[in-house]
Amino acid sequence: MSSIFRGKFATAIKIAILAITTAILSLLAQSAFASGESAIGAFLVFAIVALNFTYFTKFSIPLKFFVPGILFFIAFVIAPIVFTVIMSVFNYQTGNYISKPASIEQVLILGVESDANQTTFDLVAGKDSNGDYAVLVSDIANQRFFISTQDKITDVDASKLIINEYGVATTAPGFTAISDNELAANDAYSKIRYKYQDGYYVKIEGQGVGAVFRQKIAYDAKTDTMKNIITGETYINNGKGNFALEGSPETVLTPGWRAPIWFENYTKLVTDTRFRTPLIKVFIWTVVFSALTVLSTFSFGLLLALALNRKMRGRRIYRSILILPYAMPSIMSILIWGGMFDSEFGAINNILHTHIAWFSSATFARAAVLLVNLWLGFPYFYLICSGSLQAIPSELLEAAAIDGANPRQIFRRITLPLLLQILSPLLIASFAYNFNNFNLIYLLTGGGPRNSLDGEVAGATDILISYTYQIAFGRGMNDFGLASAISVIIFLLVASISFYGLKKSKVMETFG
Amino acid sequence: MSKWLRENLWRHAFATFMCIFSLFPLYLVVLSSFKSSGSLQLDSFVPKELSWDNYKMLFSSPKIPFLSWVKNSLIISSVVAISSVVVGAASAFAFSRLKFKGKKFGIQLLLLVQMFPAVLALSAVYVIMERVYSFAPSIGLGSQAGLILVYLGGSMGVNIWLLKGFVDSIPAELDEAAKIDGASPVQTYWLIFIPLATPVLAVVCLLSFIGTFNEFIVARLFLVEMQGRTVAVGLQQFIGGQYASNWGAFAAGSILASIPIVIIFLSLQKYIVNGLTAGSVKG
Repeated sequence: MSSIFRGKFATAIKIAILAITTAILSLLAQSAFASGESAIGAFLVFAIVALNFTYFTKFSIPLKFFVPGILFFIAFVIAPIVFTVIMSVFNYQTGNYISKPASIEQVLILGVESDANQTTFDLVAGKDSNGDYAVLVSDIANQRFFISTQDKITDVDASKLIINEYGVATTAPGFTAISDNELAANDAYSKIRYKYQDGYYVKIEGQGVGAVFRQKIAYDAKTDTMKNIITGETYINNGKGNFALEGSPETVLTPGWRAPIWFENYTKLVTDTRFRTPLIKVFIWTVVFSALTVLSTFSFGLLLALALNRKMRGRRIYRSILILPYAMPSIMSILIWGGMFDSEFGAINNILHTHIAWFSSATFARAAVLLVNLWLGFPYFYLICSGSLQAIPSELLEAAAIDGANPRQIFRRITLPLLLQILSPLLIASFAYNFNNFNLIYLLTGGGPRNSLDGEVAGATDILISYTYQIAFGRGMNDFGLASAISVIIFLLVASISFYGLKKSKVMETFG
Repeated sequence: MSKWLRENLWRHAFATFMCIFSLFPLYLVVLSSFKSSGSLQLDSFVPKELSWDNYKMLFSSPKIPFLSWVKNSLIISSVVAISSVVVGAASAFAFSRLKFKGKKFGIQLLLLVQMFPAVLALSAVYVIMERVYSFAPSIGLGSQAGLILVYLGGSMGVNIWLLKGFVDSIPAELDEAAKIDGASPVQTYWLIFIPLATPVLAVVCLLSFIGTFNEFIVARLFLVEMQGRTVAVGLQQFIGGQYASNWGAFAAGSILASIPIVIIFLSLQKYIVNGLTAGSVKG
């Protein structure tokens, strides 16, 4: 049997798998470098080297077990975390999303103006006698016809042209027109600036139509400024990802680029009331929500475990029903509850004979969130508590009973303190989990109600993580930089909560 | 009042109340799935009609590619579950059984990182996969392969940690004996460890399957095309999206999609509860 894992056959398989993996990764690395994603390319090269080195040398045996796992771990866990930290010191949002070279290119493309009359021409796209991209322009108002390329303009006499019933020239000697389909398929035609007069040029604006523009903005690489050639205004690099008009920092050229702004995303959260107030509000609700959830799910779970903590009729049936909310895919359950709370057609209002718009009022929405989370969470603590109750030595309880303690005293003085001690790491873990219970909030209330007319991003039931999601992916402004800064803060919070929990459970001491 | 009543009445009363609470939404969904009106309204507790329209709609309406959603979910979840266990088990074995430099640091890093909720790094994952898309669209943003990669990579921390816990619980004497007999670590892994750990690996595999099946937010961000969605994303869109709250079809769909998960879950109950408490309720 061991021959499968040694010998020529095994070696052949090993080489084959490694060769295929290396080939695929090399191809990917090549195209990554080709499209300028050098960080991803570098990682792929690292992966290739690591894989081949590990499996072709006897450098380290443990490494042979790790390498695939570690590579995935670095690519999809470590890299995003590091990248989150990096993004958090950048101005990285709608309008500042692209790289600086791309931004300069865009600003120059957009930095044009049409002539005073906003002249448009009928034209035909094609190639001139030299095979260069060209347009045959019909200036019908002035009865002037010309062929224009990127760098020269040639007037053509009307008598040499074929002119259709609208007065538009369709063919000229030496000019090869292309069809509309060809034009649509090749965007090179519409990118070219075809020469016109007085510094203006003609640009294809659609099938058979062109308009007259001139460049207004120019980039000066030496001083890293943008200049308006016509008015002489200067736009200076403001260090935050935009060129801003000299003397008027609010007037910026768009789009900007993602630029490092160091701790501004963080300081903004502390000093700017527009960000600080909602953040504090959301933070308080996050803590209240997590704490109340742990309290309610634990109490109900414990009470149930106590109620069913003895041989009695129907215990198995109770148990299998009570576990159902936990067994259901939570996404489905949350959506179902969302439907039940519907103000018009929901079952809750049906039963209560009320007409409460649950998700329009902050108080009702919060109550609904807590109720649903109780439903989702109590079976977990029921299961845990039933298990832990069995683990409490019965001698302790018997001894207390002999000493004359009544059941209530036994529970309060012995059972509960012992349980809390055993379960405190799980209670803390549950707190940390609910601290980031994104699915519940997002699928039940969407974080609402929120007054989006006032531009409010934080809703009444938003917890930190759903708030972060709103900032990064919500409608309107998407601010990855700010969202990442909040993510980093949440991570520090959760890590310290969990660390505290782990210290208590003494998991840390069993290392190594 | 008899002694029996005094001691047991509150127990039955409370348990019954909680059972009703637990069952109510589930009963309502079953009820709604057989109603043709398409709302989650409670007209009466007793079913008034038994219409299969909602179920038929799922399988026949061209607007609702329910079968391809299920297929996508099954493929994505299975690939992720199996690959993550194959890759994770080897790492967990090394962490649990082999001695090497930096092991302690590795475990601490793993522990720290597996606490970092994946949603927190969502914008980073999004931006990275957007860039991957720019040179390899088939594994970038919007592709199922890309989604699988993100799940697989993202599950590494938790899975290695979970598997390590299980591996630790397998007695070390056997593989120590094999070592004394001259087996290499690779042989010990394949010939001793894997056969011993197969049931545990199967459990982790199924847990990972459930977790992936249940994942919503990354899938929502990744899978834009109607045909390519997972069940979770598809059904959510269905009541929040362009179909103006079709609760009947949603109810039918979520029942069908939930049944296998509930069955897997109930059969693994023992392991799940043990796994959740491992490390805290010792002895």
